[in-house]
Amino acid sequence: MSQTPTRRDLLKLAGAAAGAALGPASDTGAAAGAADAGQRTRSRPRPPRDPLVALTPTEADVLDRIAELLIPSDEHGPGATEARAVRYIDRALGGALADQRRAYTVGLAALERYARQTRGGPFLSLSETQQNSLLIDVESGTATGANVGFDGSSAAFFTLVRGHVMQGTFGDPLYGGNEGFVGWDLIGYPGVRTAVTPAEQKLLSPPTRVRKSAYDSPMFNKAIVHVKPAGSDRDAD
Amino acid sequence: MRHVLLALLLSPVLLADAAAQPASATLTVTSPTITAGQPIPKIHTADGDNTSPALIWNGAPSSTRSYAVVCEDPDVLLPPTNPQPFVHWVIYNIPASAKGLPAAIPIDPAASMPADIVGATQGPSGFRRPIYRGPAPPPGKPHHYHFIVYALDVDGLPAGLTRAQLTEAMAGHVVGQGQLVATYERKPPTPGQ
Repeated sequence: MSQTPTRRDLLKLAGAAAGAALGPASDTGAAAGAADAGQRTRSRPRPPRDPLVALTPTEADVLDRIAELLIPSDEHGPGATEARAVRYIDRALGGALADQRRAYTVGLAALERYARQTRGGPFLSLSETQQNSLLIDVESGTATGANVGFDGSSAAFFTLVRGHVMQGTFGDPLYGGNEGFVGWDLIGYPGVRTAVTPAEQKLLSPPTRVRKSAYDSPMFNKAIVHVKPAGSDRDAD
Repeated sequence: MRHVLLALLLSPVLLADAAAQPASATLTVTSPTITAGQPIPKIHTADGDNTSPALIWNGAPSSTRSYAVVCEDPDVLLPPTNPQPFVHWVIYNIPASAKGLPAAIPIDPAASMPADIVGATQGPSGFRRPIYRGPAPPPGKPHHYHFIVYALDVDGLPAGLTRAQLTEAMAGHVVGQGQLVATYERKPPTPGQ
């Protein structure tokens, strides 16, 4: 009936990006997953949350819901919630992506104000249809002019969150997301391989799945960034 | 005498033109929530629920086989190379039995259409989604939003048409047309916001 990209389309694009480790590259209409989620409701309990590093519990609750709407758990498999995408975001904001912490503080506060101002209640209290509709407004940038405090375009904040949810779902588990490799299983990514057999090169059969972090191999160095207090430089090891 | 001669000379031309373009009836378009020339209620805008308004129409000829509805804002003309009104909504293949549109058409592409308009389909708007997205103008002046209803002597148009593609598909098939025009304005942020 429509040509809106479906969640499956979104994941195909994500699959191409996952092969290149982190860094999703889709510029598809990003709330595609949100609109596609429609009226589906969550059937599985949310896994217990790890202690937060950077986000407040309220921020993490809202982000959890946004991530769930973007990459829902459904008949195709587990989604961003099971992958612990928000745990990835939380740890990243406390480390390598600390310079983006403010964008989350400002953006999530603006999103909450937008929810209350336009839909009459906190984001988490809205119906799934209202939440999806609101996210589409944020994605399209039309929420910007509502004067609720987005820093620049609301679309920029949406793009930031979408990118990080994708990274947390499909990136290397070392960084806190893609729990149990559910993201790789979801898109059929075989995993990091250091050798490819002649038979595999001929694509005679699906490649054997490798379910190890890249950093389980001694040939890769961990690139963990430790962030010093504001104003000082970063160290990496 | 001269006028009579001119009329006689021109009349075959006029008749031929009339045969090529079917006579188009004028539809009356109203809404339970939108008043012509007045500000659109926030519920239909990005400052509210952003749900589509109900529309009511009448005056369509008996040859009508389907309806199409477009909402567009001629105060925003894009792109610069071929300026066209900014499109907020495209919905068509609305059955001829419909006397209007109910409010809050689903935004989930997988959701079924309300019973009165089963078969209707939505095309991508200027926001690149096949759903209604209401007024969200930049602050500065009131914008005008045209809800245009077309009565067509065809049905079963292909899915996923943009406004331009719909216009092309409707060419020669518009047997009635009407519109409801209302306004919306956003205020600039107050200092400190």
